[in-house]
Amino acid sequence: MFKKLIDKSAAKSPWLFHLNTGSCNGCDIEIVACLTPRYDAERFGFKLAGSPRHADILVVSGPITVQSRDRLIRTIEQTPEPKCVVSIGSCPKSGNVFKGSYGIDGPLDKYVHVDVSVAGCTPKPEAIMEGLYKAALILEKKREAMHK
Amino acid sequence: MTILRYVFYILVFPGALFTIAVGLFMAGIDRKVIAHMQKRVGPPLRQPMYDFFKLLGKETIIPAKANRAAFLEAPVLSFVSLCFIMLFIPIFGFTAINGAADMIVILYLVTIPGAALIIGGASSGSPFASIGISREMVTMMAYELPFVLVLLTVAKKVGGDQLVFNLSLVSEYQAANGSLLSHWSMIPAALAMLLVIPAEVGTQPFDVAEAENEICEGPLVEYSGSPLALFKLSINMKMIIMTGLFTSMFLGGIRTGFVALDAVLFVIICIAVMLVSITTIHAVTARLKIEHLFKFYWTVVAGLALVSTILVWIGM
Amino acid sequence: MIQHFPVLAVMGMFLGAFLIEIFGSKNAAVRNAISFITFTVVAGLVYALIKPIIIDGGVIAYWMGNWEPVAGYAIGIGYEVDALGLVFAIIAITAFWISNLYSFGYMKGEHHLGHYYTLFMMLCGSILGFCMTGDLFNMYIMVEIMTFSAVALTGFITDKDGALEAALKYLVLCSLGSGFILTGIALIYLQCHTLNIAQLASMLSGGLTPTTLLAFALTVAGFGVKSFMVPFHTPLADAHAVAPSPISMVLSGVVTKAGVYGMIRCIYIMFRAMDLTQMQIIITAFGAVTMFVGVSMALAQHDFKRLLAFHSISQVGYIITAAGLGTALGLTGGIFHAMNHMLFKGLLFLAAGAVLHQTGGVTNLDKLGGLSKRMPHTTVCFLFGAAAISGLPPFNGFASKWLIYQAAYTKAAETGNFYYLIITITALVVSVMTLASFVKIAQAVFFGQLSEENKDVKEAPAIMLVPMYILAALCLLTGIFYRPIAADFILPAVRSTVDVVKYIDVMMGEGYAAAAGVYNMAVSNVMVSSWSPIVYLILFITVFIAAFIVILGSKSDRGATVEVDPKNAMKHSNFFSGEEPVYSHVGGSDMLWGYKYDFKPYYRVMEELHSGRVTDYCNMVVIATAIIVVFMFMFMR
Repeated sequence: MFKKLIDKSAAKSPWLFHLNTGSCNGCDIEIVACLTPRYDAERFGFKLAGSPRHADILVVSGPITVQSRDRLIRTIEQTPEPKCVVSIGSCPKSGNVFKGSYGIDGPLDKYVHVDVSVAGCTPKPEAIMEGLYKAALILEKKREAMHK
Repeated sequence: MTILRYVFYILVFPGALFTIAVGLFMAGIDRKVIAHMQKRVGPPLRQPMYDFFKLLGKETIIPAKANRAAFLEAPVLSFVSLCFIMLFIPIFGFTAINGAADMIVILYLVTIPGAALIIGGASSGSPFASIGISREMVTMMAYELPFVLVLLTVAKKVGGDQLVFNLSLVSEYQAANGSLLSHWSMIPAALAMLLVIPAEVGTQPFDVAEAENEICEGPLVEYSGSPLALFKLSINMKMIIMTGLFTSMFLGGIRTGFVALDAVLFVIICIAVMLVSITTIHAVTARLKIEHLFKFYWTVVAGLALVSTILVWIGM
Repeated sequence: MIQHFPVLAVMGMFLGAFLIEIFGSKNAAVRNAISFITFTVVAGLVYALIKPIIIDGGVIAYWMGNWEPVAGYAIGIGYEVDALGLVFAIIAITAFWISNLYSFGYMKGEHHLGHYYTLFMMLCGSILGFCMTGDLFNMYIMVEIMTFSAVALTGFITDKDGALEAALKYLVLCSLGSGFILTGIALIYLQCHTLNIAQLASMLSGGLTPTTLLAFALTVAGFGVKSFMVPFHTPLADAHAVAPSPISMVLSGVVTKAGVYGMIRCIYIMFRAMDLTQMQIIITAFGAVTMFVGVSMALAQHDFKRLLAFHSISQVGYIITAAGLGTALGLTGGIFHAMNHMLFKGLLFLAAGAVLHQTGGVTNLDKLGGLSKRMPHTTVCFLFGAAAISGLPPFNGFASKWLIYQAAYTKAAETGNFYYLIITITALVVSVMTLASFVKIAQAVFFGQLSEENKDVKEAPAIMLVPMYILAALCLLTGIFYRPIAADFILPAVRSTVDVVKYIDVMMGEGYAAAAGVYNMAVSNVMVSSWSPIVYLILFITVFIAAFIVILGSKSDRGATVEVDPKNAMKHSNFFSGEEPVYSHVGGSDMLWGYKYDFKPYYRVMEELHSGRVTDYCNMVVIATAIIVVFMFMFMR
């Protein structure tokens, strides 16, 4: 009965869980900027959640350092389905300036399928918003696929 | 026939459906108004409903260390008890189950959702949840003293030298003598009650128990999917129940003669109360520390309520 | 025939004690059989008295050796059972029957069990005698037997740390109390030349002389010590912490009630002083202080049984406050709460005992945790008891506390006295503090994480679970059907406290009371109530089950419920900010931090007072007694 409504809601209310896997904090600041009055991501229902169990979208910023690798995998595992992984900035995608460092074990898609990748160092809040919005639409598709 | 009527009361009005619908609506208004106060556009009014249905569609993960039965039953207990409390609160002239409960019973009934949250959090086996339930319990202790004082003050004001704990009688008294808020000796008690509401509902600055950015939402940390949806819904339902309690205690003098019209007016007044006590305080303050919260309630808020108690006691 | 039952019940208990000592010291089966049969028979005898006394409203009198009064003076020892005494006797025998059943499982493997059951039955017999006797000196003797068997049972497991010390403290303080009672009795005998309570009631009601006033003060203080109200409460906490759990249950459920019963008998019937405002004020003041100190001390404890002990003190405070209000409603609430306290506190002590028994003697709240997965039945029983003692509807604790609040508030509203409003507020706030400390236990013992040492803990054996389930069911049933119980079981007891004429006449002969000029006080038996738990409960359960099925049971439209899957262990491990989950349990000492921080100055004072030295405790007892005596001489002459 509520099937359609639930599917639609998946796109309308994506909650974010932010994972910093060794980022320089540039991207983190921009993610927070999305929630400020100027950009107001809450318009689309985006909200920062306190625990991965509540999250729909995992926002990963930073090249995957060796230290953070296990934590990243564990946190992704602990997020309930349907979920999306969004990488913010160039670091999780390619390693960026840290590429080749002994302390880096990236890129992110070695460990998990990345649904949306926002490039840039750092990406503009507008770009992040667009990426997150695309992830929300993917969430709806994943949700639809769950009961097929 | 009687049974059917009770079923209607519990499931539709003023029980589950009404409470859920109004609760979600109020939560939407709350978020929208806060957004406007911060010069944002804010989410649509339907947003809490989307949140609820989205959570229904998520997986429910039961942690290996959790006690399965308690973990799953706690949210249902919280939800069901909240559906019931609304039956005992008069909507101006109309009370669904009249004479079955009084203020003291309601005082205890509103602790049941809190107790359910605590059992749920404790059974999840997470240390974050343990810290959360510890704080939740201290918050409950903190607001209980002013809450009790307010209830006894209202009882004394309405009953004089008789025992009147019945909320319907409080409502009738107000219909005859004007709402209690218009008696100046009751104003401190009303202020105290306005400060009790956000702590009971668990909104900023009194949400130390569910602090999402320090202890990962405390008792809720391990919840996901439908149980989490029920807990989030409970918070929204508490909004209408607590503001409704305030309305029937302090602003209950209105009689239009039609239950439907009464209900609409009731909801409007509840929203106004919510804007004052929950939304504004939320928008302009930051989270307290738990020891400050406890001290605040046992000194400032209890003091306000006590002023009213003494004023009423000496016959003002 | 029926008038022999009270004496037979007491005698039967003592006879059973002797039989066990003779036949049962070696063979466990014989021992258990004797004790079980004795308790069941005596319970039958006591329950048989319900019909003539509570339902028909009669009073049963019995003269030992047929020594009936001569020329209006009672010479022999008389047994007299009215509804008040019988209600307390029923509370006692029920608690003992259940506790005895539990002992079979709990005490298995201890040494000298013959002595244990002997003392246990002596304790029961003395309390039954205490509740049923109509003779003041006989009452004193029963108190002494009670005290000494309780002391011996407290320190029964002598190799346990602190057992003998606790027993010694208990012994010293209770002897002081007995001393007060004995002095009071001696003074009364000096004045009135009789020891029969009925006759004393007719003699003392005309007003108090200085001698009888002193006697009155000393008796009240003495029974205060026996009921462990603050500041006489100190030995109880130690005693509960070391006593075997079935003994803790009867100590808290019955022995403290015996003190309360003594006070009610003494104030309401013998001296008939309860309509004096000053009397009400001092008793309610002691009650309110007892309530608050008990619960606030409980919040600071980190030993399971010690914490429960302080709750016993707090709950006895409720009973004393209610009884001290001097109204029918208050006394109804008080006696009802006495019964309910036996049920839920007994249940909690048995649950604590089950934990202690299964974990090998651990009661430290910081060392337990996560037992709900290993001991699900115990957890359910504990949660029932915790909900009942915290007064959550629809359990019995709510019903009786609700009567007490109403009684206190009615008193406040009627007299216009702000003091009674403070009492009401204290009672209401103490209730939520009780909830807080049970949340602490629930988290520290049953929920949270399971430690390595307790990994192989098993559920308690059936012989221990059955008594717990009986009590849990009773907690719920008495809460749901509180109205018939309060009206048909408790209210007769309340009536019997005001119907002194009948009490005297049955004992001393028709017309004796009228000749002595004793008349009953007028008391309204109005029960103010608008709480119907049955409707609520039925609806609640129906909707609860329906909601559970609809919301969490159905699989169709929602995301699946993911059960624990060993292949995907990471998904089901607790969230530790991404770290590997480690053992991290928030124990009892860490809970309720903000509250403890704000109450630091108060706890500093309390720490000074609870120094653990017997001399300090004796000083407290003497000072409090002096306060009672001085108060009475100043305000009640």
